[in-house]
Amino acid sequence: MALIATVLALRSHPRIQRLPPYLSLLCIIIGVAWLLLLPLNEYSRETYISENALLPGQVHTYFTGSEHNVFRAYRHEVADMILQPPDVRSKRLEDIFHSNNLKAATQRYTYHTPGREIKDENVYAVLRGPRADATEAIVLVAAWRNMDGKINHSGVALVLTLARYFKRWSLWSKDIIFLISGDSTSGPQAWVDAYHDAHSPETVESLSIKSGALQGAVALDYPAGPWGHRYGKLHIMYDGVNGQLTNLDLFNTAVNIASGQMGIGTALQRMWSHKNTYQDRLQTMLRGMMSQGLGHASGPHSAFIPYRVDAITLQTVGDGWHDEMSLGRTVESIFRSLNNLLEHLHQSFFFYLLLSAKRFVSIGTYLPSAMLIAANFSITAIALWVQSGRSDLDEPAAPSKTPASSEKKTESEFFQPTTEKKMTLIHSGPSATLIPTTLLTTTERPLLYPTLFITAIHTTGLIPLYFFNNAHSTHLPLILNTTLATTPLLPLLISLALSKTSLRPTIRHITLIQCFSLLLLGMFLASLATLNFSLSFLIGVLACPLSFVRPRPGSKVQSAGLYLLLSLLNPVVVGRAATVYWGADAVEVLLKAAEGWHVWGLWTQVIVWLVWWPAWVVGGVVASQGLVA
Amino acid sequence: MAIDRQKALIFGAAVAVRLLLFTTFPSLPNLLAGRVEVSTPVTSFKRLQEGLFLYKHNVSPYDGGVYYQAPLLLPLFSLLPDPSYFPFASNVLYTAVDSLGAYALMQIADSMQAVTPRLFKSSRKDLRWSSVAVAAGYLFNPFTVATCVARSTSALSTLFILVAIAKASQGAGITFVFALSIASYLSMHPILLFPPLLLLCYDVRASKAKSAPSASRFAVSHTAGLAAACGLLLYLSYLLTGSWEFLQSTYGVRLLLPDLTPNVGLWWYFFIEMFDSFREFFLGVFWLHVASYAPGLTLRLRKQPLFAAATLTGIFAIFTPYPSIADAALYLSLLPLFRHLFPLMRYSFLAAAAILYASFLGPAFYHLWIYAGSGNANFFYAITLVWSLGLSVIVGDSLYAALRDEFDVERPELRGKEVKRI
Repeated sequence: MALIATVLALRSHPRIQRLPPYLSLLCIIIGVAWLLLLPLNEYSRETYISENALLPGQVHTYFTGSEHNVFRAYRHEVADMILQPPDVRSKRLEDIFHSNNLKAATQRYTYHTPGREIKDENVYAVLRGPRADATEAIVLVAAWRNMDGKINHSGVALVLTLARYFKRWSLWSKDIIFLISGDSTSGPQAWVDAYHDAHSPETVESLSIKSGALQGAVALDYPAGPWGHRYGKLHIMYDGVNGQLTNLDLFNTAVNIASGQMGIGTALQRMWSHKNTYQDRLQTMLRGMMSQGLGHASGPHSAFIPYRVDAITLQTVGDGWHDEMSLGRTVESIFRSLNNLLEHLHQSFFFYLLLSAKRFVSIGTYLPSAMLIAANFSITAIALWVQSGRSDLDEPAAPSKTPASSEKKTESEFFQPTTEKKMTLIHSGPSATLIPTTLLTTTERPLLYPTLFITAIHTTGLIPLYFFNNAHSTHLPLILNTTLATTPLLPLLISLALSKTSLRPTIRHITLIQCFSLLLLGMFLASLATLNFSLSFLIGVLACPLSFVRPRPGSKVQSAGLYLLLSLLNPVVVGRAATVYWGADAVEVLLKAAEGWHVWGLWTQVIVWLVWWPAWVVGGVVASQGLVA
Repeated sequence: MAIDRQKALIFGAAVAVRLLLFTTFPSLPNLLAGRVEVSTPVTSFKRLQEGLFLYKHNVSPYDGGVYYQAPLLLPLFSLLPDPSYFPFASNVLYTAVDSLGAYALMQIADSMQAVTPRLFKSSRKDLRWSSVAVAAGYLFNPFTVATCVARSTSALSTLFILVAIAKASQGAGITFVFALSIASYLSMHPILLFPPLLLLCYDVRASKAKSAPSASRFAVSHTAGLAAACGLLLYLSYLLTGSWEFLQSTYGVRLLLPDLTPNVGLWWYFFIEMFDSFREFFLGVFWLHVASYAPGLTLRLRKQPLFAAATLTGIFAIFTPYPSIADAALYLSLLPLFRHLFPLMRYSFLAAAAILYASFLGPAFYHLWIYAGSGNANFFYAITLVWSLGLSVIVGDSLYAALRDEFDVERPELRGKEVKRI
């Protein structure tokens, strides 16, 4: 305690008090630089298989020859079903499963998201493992439509073929479930919710057949039409809803089998050509972070991951010489590996950033960068707290006392009026020094007003959160444009409104409000970094100017500039700019987000509206103080 | 009249907030009741429902091995309609419990025992918050609200502790003893509050009467009263359940810690890791540690018994086997009574930040451990350590402030100067 007391006594030292902004800046710079270092060989590692039981690629695969004819037949069956309504389609798929001596069932689901009705059917079949006791199962998924809305012809046909093929083997020690989901996101979600009895029976049917605990899932996305298409690479997708990732062992197994055993190239994060250079690694990592940060479902596998079922999607991309049989053998080999598992995948990493198919960074290496960004807010908050206790803080706030020359004051002079000061003589060992008394005394801080202000701003965030998630799709463009127009002005309006009433905040109030806001922001981001590193990092970087905003009552020009700069970093403006940059339709993105909110349990919106947006509003209020003074 | 309007506003708003939370988020109570931070095995509302079901079907409520709470809660809650169909009645009950607690807190604040007890006049006695502000601090504390919405039975213990303190600070001996015996009956450890509260009651009585009553007679009569009241409650429980087995399932569980469900305290992890042969020894050490604060604080803070009692509630929130955020809420709402000590506290920002961080990181790490499967028990335990650290910094710092405040009265010439402990 004595040490802490000494350190705390130091806080009244004027030089220490000038340090925090630089310290914050340093944190941000190091945090960003840290991330840029990660793709280097020194900071990343080669992937490896932790779980010895998996033994990837150690078995012969036999999915060849006559199975190809079966596959082609099923592919024509599938092509025949395209124009049929879902119930007929489900019936026919079920019949195919039945003809292979598998128990099959259909699950209907209807989700009502604002302005949209998602209604479709899942068909699934259970292969009882000959050596299994129905306590564990692995899932093979093919969505009827893939993420781009194309019919997953060959994927579905391949699942049907593999169902027939797997049925003849006696070596399965786990049940295998074949799932043909109606679409790529809500369908698997409905099925996996119902599998774990976490569904609402009014909208999603319960499952009539079940097996044991799901150990893993592999989804196929192979939309080649009835005449086939030879692909070049397998694109492996591994990120789930809310940025949760699949176990790295499963990903490694897939890469190992595809590239090692089958000779199929692998790609990730839409990096079709990866030359393993620094730029390519960095780009892969940043794309991965973007995808993780948004937290959306990236494929049929995403729905499984929140239930601790490790899952990946194999998507065929490009033109090449690989055909459906090599994909089938890849799946066979992956399933043989999963079949070996003695316990749930747990050995390897759940938190990682992939740089290429065979290189990754683990959490211990990358987490400090997001934590440093979050720490920068906390440091500024502590500095503001100390500053808010200074007895001379309110003096410049009273305009009558401020001389006209105050406009030229620099920031360091801002809180130290150049008029005569009371000095205190401090003896420290043999030397003595004069320190302004105001630096040594602490005044009482008015805490109620800032607390209420912060609570009110954070509660206000609920309003856009509600409207964006529940508004009808026809109203969304209007709401989006209104928010886009009003939120940048909101802080200014708040400042103006408050300055006209008796609630006009003093400089001390403003300092405390900013202190609390940054403290909360730092805390939320630090907590978030443990759950979804990328989201925390992205918001942290976009919000870091908030650490350096200070009220400048003297200078309207500076204040206006600062305010304009902040407006560009408004969450709504940033979001709109991002959709323009990536050429996405903003309304479509919002609709997907609303679907995510209602169906997948996506909570990125909560972070945006209840963490980032309020922090930004407070920053804007602080900046606009100079405009209304 | 203005004060009354303030009072009505505060209480009305508190009731409105609670009923609003209950009605607009109907799934919230069950969600919170399942959180380990709010509901411990000895206070959980879900377990109470289980016990109630057995009780209503004429089976001993302790047979299921789930219900660890006091038997007399059963007839009380069996009067209410089934909360799964008609939750409004229990919602109103819990809202009323919180309001009564706040009322008791106002009585404590009005008694001025926090700043000017009989033997000590603080030099900062003018620095205090109004009783309405103190009550607001209790009613709008997010931890109190969460406890109320989760319908944890620790809300009842909190109420009776507050009533006991309020009655002691008014010098009402009988009601004080009775309230404290109910609190102890419900959750056992409040009995350790008896020594400081007895002194508080004695001081108030002595300052009200012309001549101080005989200390020994006062102590003996009140101790006997407490024993009689506790005995009565236990005997009623015996009549209700028909055997003395409930002792094993209620106080036995609190003492011997058979249920190692995680909570915000320090015991569960320690006893998970413990080899069985050392278990009894460390149970003894841990309990001795908790109990030893009561005499120590009572003696050292003889001049400020209310502060000793408040500090003890803080100790309970850290060191008892099944603490929850409700215990922290009780301590944190007693602290504003000692507004005059705040300027002397040195680490308030640090401690507040630690508690804030812990209250957000705790659920995040629990999620990683239990739901995402990507973390493990150490994640959550690390955060409970931070939480306890934050609370103990507040306890230690406020203790320092109280002693410094006493010192300033003894040695006015050293006021405001740096002191060093030698």
